[in-house]
Amino acid sequence: MRDTIVIGAGLAGLMGALALAEAGRRPLVLATGHGATHWSSGTIDVWGQAASGGPRAAVAAVIAGDPDHPYARTGVAGLEAACARFRQVMQAAAYPFVGDLHSDLMIPTALGAFRRAALVPRTMSAGALQAGDRVLIAGFRQLRDFYPPLMAQNLRSQGIAAHGVYLELPPVNRNLDFTTRSLAQCFDDGAFRAHVGAQLARLRGDASHIGLPAVLGMRHPLDVIAELERHSGGQVFEIATLPPSVPGMRIASILERAIVAAGGRIQIGSAVLRGVADGDRLTTVISEAAAREQQHRAVRCLLASGGIAGGGVRTDQTGAVWETALGLPLAAPASRRAWFASRSLDPRGHAIFRTGVLSDDRLRPLDQRGVVVYRNVTIAGGALAGADTIRERSRSGVALATGWAAGSRLAAIEA
Amino acid sequence: MPATDFIELSLDHCIKCTICTAACPVSAVTDLFPGPKYVGPQAQRFRRDGEAPPDDTVDYCSGCRVCNEVCPTGVKIMEINTRAKARIVESRGVPLRSWLLGYQYLIGRLACGPLAGVANLFANLRWVRVLAEHLTGIAREAPLPSFSGYSFRSWARRHRDPHAAGATGRPKVVYFHGCATNYYEPRVGEAAVAVLEHNGFEVIIPEQGCCGLPLLSNGIFSHGRHHHQYNVAQLYSYAAQGIPIVGTSTSCTLTLKEEAPELLAMHDEQTRVVAEHTYDIFEFLRLLHERGRLNTRFRRIKRRLPYHAPCQQRAHRIGRPALDILELVPGLTMVESEAACCGLAGSYGYKVEKYRIAMDVGAELFDFIRASGSDLAVCDSEICRWQIDHGSEVYSVHPIELLREAYGLAPGA
Repeated sequence: MRDTIVIGAGLAGLMGALALAEAGRRPLVLATGHGATHWSSGTIDVWGQAASGGPRAAVAAVIAGDPDHPYARTGVAGLEAACARFRQVMQAAAYPFVGDLHSDLMIPTALGAFRRAALVPRTMSAGALQAGDRVLIAGFRQLRDFYPPLMAQNLRSQGIAAHGVYLELPPVNRNLDFTTRSLAQCFDDGAFRAHVGAQLARLRGDASHIGLPAVLGMRHPLDVIAELERHSGGQVFEIATLPPSVPGMRIASILERAIVAAGGRIQIGSAVLRGVADGDRLTTVISEAAAREQQHRAVRCLLASGGIAGGGVRTDQTGAVWETALGLPLAAPASRRAWFASRSLDPRGHAIFRTGVLSDDRLRPLDQRGVVVYRNVTIAGGALAGADTIRERSRSGVALATGWAAGSRLAAIEA
Repeated sequence: MPATDFIELSLDHCIKCTICTAACPVSAVTDLFPGPKYVGPQAQRFRRDGEAPPDDTVDYCSGCRVCNEVCPTGVKIMEINTRAKARIVESRGVPLRSWLLGYQYLIGRLACGPLAGVANLFANLRWVRVLAEHLTGIAREAPLPSFSGYSFRSWARRHRDPHAAGATGRPKVVYFHGCATNYYEPRVGEAAVAVLEHNGFEVIIPEQGCCGLPLLSNGIFSHGRHHHQYNVAQLYSYAAQGIPIVGTSTSCTLTLKEEAPELLAMHDEQTRVVAEHTYDIFEFLRLLHERGRLNTRFRRIKRRLPYHAPCQQRAHRIGRPALDILELVPGLTMVESEAACCGLAGSYGYKVEKYRIAMDVGAELFDFIRASGSDLAVCDSEICRWQIDHGSEVYSVHPIELLREAYGLAPGA
C-alpha cells in the first residue's frame, strides 16, 4: 500500500507530491479540503520588493542576509528547478506561464495597483501595461468585488489611459447568483463568448488592451482569449479576482492530474490528526474519517499543511500555538503579548505570522535545540518558520521552491 | 443544543471563502440551488426554534457531501442542510412522495421474488410511469432498478459455505447487505460472501432492516431513528464481540458509521460501538491486506475500466480502497473519474422537479464513461450504478464482482 504521505493540498503539497510521484513513490496526499491555491491569484510571486537583477537576485540577497529564510533551504538553484518543472507541467496542460527569474512582470490588481510577479499565466501577461497604453477594463455587475470604473480610475492616476465598463450579461439560463466559477462555466459556452466578444468590439474604442476578471473559462482559457481577441481586435488579459480563484483552481487541477497520472493519489476531506513515531522516525499518520480514524503507514512524509492562514498552525486565547497535523515543535512568539507589533501596518510585520516549524538544510523538522525531530519527514510552504510570506509577497514562490525541494529530498529516503 | 453537537458548532468555522460553492455539482447546473455556503452556514444563522425556515432552497441540496469534502476548515455543511430539510418537513408534514421514497424497501419486499417479472414489466410501462409521476411526483424517466426474481436472503438461506467442512475457529464477519442487494442485486451480496469466504471468514447474515438513509435524506427523522435503533439492536451483540460488520452499499455503511448517529445526535454506547465496527467491504479487505492476511492469488484480468468513487463512498474519508485492492490484480487498470457526483444522490434524482438537474450533474460522469470506450464501468454504490446505466448506457458492476472474477470464483458458487 501507499507509504509516502503528503499532508496538505496547496501549492507546496502538490509540488512535493508531484516530485514524489515522478520519483516513483506513489504518494498519498491527505488534506482537510482544497488548498490555498483556491484563495490565491494564480501567479508565482517570488519576492515583493524590487531588486536590480530581478527576483533571482532578490532571493540571493535574502539568502545571504537571512540563513533561516525558507529560500535558504532551497537556494536559488532549487527555486529555479521548481519553476522550470512547474512551467513544463503547466505548458503540457495548455496553460503556459510567462516570465522568468531575471525580471518581474508588473501586473494590475483588481483595484488597479501594479504588483510584481515572477511567473504569470499567459492569460494575464498582456496586463503588464506600460504608461501610454490604452486599456479597456470590462466586468459584469453580477460579479461582486470587481469594479471596472474604480480600477480604470486608479490606472489613469498612474498614466494609463483606461476606461472601465460593465458588460451586459449575455443571455444565460442562470440569473440567481454568480461566482467566479459560474462565470467561468459561462465562458465555456460559444454563444456566450461571441456575445461578450461583440460587446468588447463595440466598446473597445482606441484601446489596445482589454482587461477582464479572471473567469475566462475553466479548462481552455487560451482558446477563450483567442476568440475574444478575434472578435474585439484588442489584446485580452485576465485580472485576478477575490476568491475562489479560477486561475488558482486551474493550477490545482493541473497539478492533481499530473500527480495522479504519475501514480499518486489525492484524498481530500481527510484532515490529518496526528502522527505516531518510533524514536526519530515517523511511522504512522492518522487522519480523520467516519466513525474511526484511518491509519496510514508512513515510510516518508511531507508536511505542507500551511501556516496560520492555511490552517496548519492554530492558536488559542491562552496564547498556545501548535502545529495541527503532527504536533511538531514550533518557532513561535513566547507569549500572546508578543504576537503583534503595536501598529497594525508596522513594516516589520507581526511575529505571529513568522510562526512555523524550524528546519535543517534538508528541510527536516528541528526542535528548539536544533535536533532533527523525524528523519523521514520534510517540511514545505507556509508550515516553515522564518518567513512572513504574505508581507514579503513570496508566498507562492516559497511554496513552489520548498514544495519541490522537500518532495525531491524526501523521495531519496529509503524504508 | 448540547455542547457536543459538532454539526452546529462547525458553522462557526466557515470563513466564507466560497470553495464549497465553487465545487458544488448542483449549483453548477441550476439556479434553484444557490450553493452550499448560502443555504448552509449562512442561512443556518437564521434558523431558530419556533421560527419559520428562512427559505426553501435547501430542498435542492442533493446531499452529495462534496462541500464537506472540499471545505478547508471542516464545516459540516451537508449535515446542516439535511437537518434544515427535516425542520421544513417537521413544520409542513411529509409529502406522499417522501414516504414512498423513504419506504421504497417495502415495495421491494412485495415485488421481489416470483412476481418480479410481472412487477418489472408493470413498473416500466410508460403509462404507469406517467401516471405515477402525476400522482406522486416520481420522475417518469428516472432509472428504477429491476426487482430480482429471488431475494439475497433467500439465496443466503440456501447457500452452503464451500469452506465450512471441517473448518473450526474461523474468524467471523457480519455482512450488512442493505435493501438494494436484497431486492434488486443479490449478485453483489453473493460476490461479497464468496470473496469473504475465500479469505477464510465465516460470514454471518443477521436480521437487519433498511439503514434509514432514504428516510433521513427526505427529512423523516423520527422514522429514520426507529430504523437505526432496530439495526443497532440487531448488530450490537456482534460488534461488542469485536466482529466486524462489512457492507457493499457505501450509503448503508456510511449511515451506520456516521450519518444516523450524527444527524440524529445518537451518542449512546451501543450506537457508537456498532459505528466503530462497521466497514466498507474494500476498506475491510485493505485492512486485511495491510496485515498480510488478504489472499492475493489473482488471475490476470487484462482490462482497462472506468471507475467512479460515489460521493457516499468518498464521505467515508477512507480514500479509494477499491482501487487500492484492484491495483493488486495483474493486468487490470482502473481509470478514476473526476466527476463530483452521478447526480442521482439517493432519492434526489427520482423527484420530477429534480430529474433534469440530476442528469445535468451526471453529464460529466456519463461523458467520461462513454469516452472510455469500455462496455463495463465500476462503481461501489448501487444508486450511482443505476444512474450510470441510465445516463451513459454502459453496464456497471460493484468492484466486489470484479474481485470475485479475479479470484476465479464463478458466480452462483
